[in-house]
Amino acid sequence: MNEVDFLLWVRGPGLAIASIIFVLGMTVKMFEIFMLGRKKNLAELRGSGIKEGFRTIITRSGHVDTYSTRNTRFTHIAGWVFHIGLFTAIFLLAPHIEVFKSIVGFAWPALPTPIIDFATVIAMITMLAMLFHRITNPVLKYLSTGQDFVVWALTFLPLLTGYMAYHHLFFSYTLVLGLHILSVCLLLVFFPFTKLTHAVTLFFARWYNGMMAGEKGVQQ
Amino acid sequence: MSKATLERGLNALREQIDTPIALFFSSCTHCGMCATACLFYTETENPAYTPINKVEPLRRLWEQEYTLVGRIKKALGMSKPITDAELEEWKEYAYNACSLCGRCTMVCPVGNDITYMIRKMREGMAASGHTPEGLVGASTRAVKIGSPMGVKLPALQAQARHVEKDTGIEIPFDVEGAEYMLLMSSMEIMNYPEYLEAVSKIFNAAGKSWTISSEAFEATNSGIQIGSSDIARELVSRVVNAAEKLKVKTVISPECGHAYTAIRWEGPNLIGRPFPFHVKHILEVLDEFREQGLLKTEGFEDARMTFHDPCQLVRRGGVVQQPRNLLNMVATDFVEMKDHGIMNWCCGAGGGVSANEDAEELKMKAFNRKKHQLEELNVDTLVTACANCRIQIEEGLEENEIDMPVVGLTEMLAEHLVEDKKTGVSDND
Amino acid sequence: MTEINNESQFRAALKGMSLANQREVGASFVEQVAYLADDERIGFAIRVASNKDAAEDELNAAHKAAKAAAIDCYTRCGSDADWAAQAGYFVARAASAIVTPEKDVGRDGPAWTAAANSRLARTCSIIESNPEAESQEAGKQYRILEDYLKKRV
Repeated sequence: MNEVDFLLWVRGPGLAIASIIFVLGMTVKMFEIFMLGRKKNLAELRGSGIKEGFRTIITRSGHVDTYSTRNTRFTHIAGWVFHIGLFTAIFLLAPHIEVFKSIVGFAWPALPTPIIDFATVIAMITMLAMLFHRITNPVLKYLSTGQDFVVWALTFLPLLTGYMAYHHLFFSYTLVLGLHILSVCLLLVFFPFTKLTHAVTLFFARWYNGMMAGEKGVQQ
Repeated sequence: MSKATLERGLNALREQIDTPIALFFSSCTHCGMCATACLFYTETENPAYTPINKVEPLRRLWEQEYTLVGRIKKALGMSKPITDAELEEWKEYAYNACSLCGRCTMVCPVGNDITYMIRKMREGMAASGHTPEGLVGASTRAVKIGSPMGVKLPALQAQARHVEKDTGIEIPFDVEGAEYMLLMSSMEIMNYPEYLEAVSKIFNAAGKSWTISSEAFEATNSGIQIGSSDIARELVSRVVNAAEKLKVKTVISPECGHAYTAIRWEGPNLIGRPFPFHVKHILEVLDEFREQGLLKTEGFEDARMTFHDPCQLVRRGGVVQQPRNLLNMVATDFVEMKDHGIMNWCCGAGGGVSANEDAEELKMKAFNRKKHQLEELNVDTLVTACANCRIQIEEGLEENEIDMPVVGLTEMLAEHLVEDKKTGVSDND
Repeated sequence: MTEINNESQFRAALKGMSLANQREVGASFVEQVAYLADDERIGFAIRVASNKDAAEDELNAAHKAAKAAAIDCYTRCGSDADWAAQAGYFVARAASAIVTPEKDVGRDGPAWTAAANSRLARTCSIIESNPEAESQEAGKQYRILEDYLKKRV
């Protein structure tokens, strides 16, 4: 198979298969989660907690107490920077927006490519710092499993190959682009079966957290 | 109770897995932030005490039986089973190093209610027989005798008589139709009889009817601490039966943290129906009296004081403002700890930790967090509203050679009560 | 001669006494139950409280020691209640009351606090066998106070 065939396959059938697995996998995942249900709370509630649930979706991205703020600064800041960089690269790059347009039917303004480039570099540097943190911090060392590193790689590779594609680095553009799309396919395929699901489930988790506290009249 | 086995334990865990649990496990990214919220971690730097690690066996069960990939891996023989040995190791993490204080829940960036998860984890630990001896003893005594400390009715009556003699006010037992039914923790009955005296004086001055049931006076719920819904349900049922028999409007949970969680929030869910009466913490009731003008105080404490927020009352219980309203009635110099209210730090002794001999040393290490909070503040007196927190803090202060009185809030209010001259009840009588 | 036959008279008589005198008579109350604690810190507190000329730092030292004794004696949450041992807790509290620094003395005064805790100690020591223990101890305290006031006159 030559580079052109590879690219054609990966952006056609490859991406299609990956997307189907992604959608099916996430559907099964959400079903697995929500079919379990939650028993009704029979205690005398101070409120329904619904308002607090929605509020917590937002407020949980901030900090809550002086001690944790001081001691998790790196994780907190790195988390913010990385995610902003990642989403900027995914959603605000013109060629990506074209892809989304073909799926959802509408587009939105893109940011100039140099800015996306900058965001990508920041995201990658942050990810490298986070990797270093994960292997040196005692708590993270203890908690981390193979999956944490696999997921790191799955997230890093699209950023790296995207950067390489834009700058025409190391290999021919055709091959790099093919690798970039392949890396995205891998990300999509593994997404529903790893902690990457947090991208979706965290909204619900935060909601339940806030709601259960709100039932007792507690709001962060 | 039925014999403990691993299979029973796993079944208990299966029953506990619900949508929130599945969401939480699906969202955890191993960021480690929960560790910095947990005083057992911060004061020991033992990474095994990271909150999310305390529920690892539960996570594996969920993964292996409630996720597609997990089930496939299990079918292919690629998953690690949960064993008795592992649960025995987890005893330390789930019991010694956790007071169910709830700070991890507030800090997790993806929104995991880790406290909720640990509480559920304990159900599996209890059903499989991997629980600290002290808690087993306490639960057994609670079920058989009615009190985890073996405090029987004659002992309570003796304390009541002492209080009656002191105050000249009768302690009403088994009064049908009284508005309030008071529960007490064994800790209070044994170590702080002034609590009962304070309640007696305050209710008398407020003109409110109350009673104690001779059949169910114990507030402490060892079932919650050990994590056995069966035991917890039995203990709650006794209170519910007594309250229904006496037809009271409100059951009062005393100055004890977990007792409140047990009866106020878990109670109806344990027995499977809403209560036909309200449940309030004594501070909620006193604050209502204050609002209604029924709690009149005089005089002020000029000592510089701060409030330790019992976790189950404030963060996990929602009674946040009331202690402050009440304290401000008698304090002129009240300062908040830097992390206060719903983010205050645990004393280190709740959730069964103080009843667990194996956790003795760890408990004192955990207290260092409270010590740091106090060192930042420079106060003369510490006020709180939980007998267990009180003992832990007194012990911790003593161990660290810090000279600071610890006072119960209800007791402090009673000391400033305006005595009604008309009824002839006064300090000078 | 002052006769003390009930709570009102007991409390009124105590309230009229100076702090130093309250400490002294309070020490006598604690002496009756000291053996239930079997802790030399109790004896220390009694000695200091009985000494009219005790210096402030002596009082503070005795107070600290008595408080420590109370913490050593209390029954741990969830443990099997040992009422005999719990008596020691209240003896220590009574001892602590008679050497409390002036600024920390509560509304009730050291003598009354010592009396109340001594009665609790007595009750604990025989809680299962003698329900009248409390009143008997109170009666003893009335006699002690009568004698003390007689000597003062």
